[in-house]
Amino acid sequence: MNICLSYIPFLYPISLFHDWWYLLILPLSIGISIIYKALRLGSLDRFWHNVVIMSIQIILSMIGLAIALLILVQWIIPALPVD
Amino acid sequence: MNHTQFQLDEARFSLLAAFLAWIWPGLGHISLGEKKRGVYIMIGVLFLFFCGLLVGGFDAVDRLSGSDRLWFYAQGLCGPIAFAADFINQNYIKQLPAPDQLRTQSLGRVNEMGTLFIALAGLMNLIVIIDALHFIPRRQVAPKSDPGDSRDSGGAEEAGGADT
Repeated sequence: MNICLSYIPFLYPISLFHDWWYLLILPLSIGISIIYKALRLGSLDRFWHNVVIMSIQIILSMIGLAIALLILVQWIIPALPVD
Repeated sequence: MNHTQFQLDEARFSLLAAFLAWIWPGLGHISLGEKKRGVYIMIGVLFLFFCGLLVGGFDAVDRLSGSDRLWFYAQGLCGPIAFAADFINQNYIKQLPAPDQLRTQSLGRVNEMGTLFIALAGLMNLIVIIDALHFIPRRQVAPKSDPGDSRDSGGAEEAGGADT
């Protein structure tokens, strides 16, 4: 089979994410939230509402951790005495 | 405000439900009568699985590659779909002529993220399998209304514990 086409989904990887890999936190957090809430919730009446809230919580937590690590690596560790 | 309250019944031990949960994500819960829950689980696991396959291509599932073999232990928990993806990779993608094969190989972060997505789908499905194996039915009960108590009826939407 000649696969010299421009792009075939699932066959070729999406090279765009070499530079924008951190955007994949969005589908990752949504997927994890869907499974977790499907198992955890007693009533599934407000399922998608709970999924959105948990996804936002994960994303904000990851942003918070990134900022904390940035401060640690860029400012706190360089300020420590060498000896 | 009155929340729906749930009472946790006695756990049901079902090897068949656990096996069905591995065969196809969500099928275990559907077999236990939790159809809506099973469909949501199916959506979640398949969403992660196909996102990983879309980002990293079939190269993200590789049972025989040295460094990816450990990841496949987690990916295999998705069930036969992970083995089918690996079968396509081994018998079709890797048999392509070298120039075409190069285009199908994901490298660096794209490969890492694709592999991670599918492995996470498998690990989340492991939790689903354990839940189906030792399933505790959530039985809805009438909300208690205490006129002297103005508080909410307490974390009742989630069965058995606090919200995240």
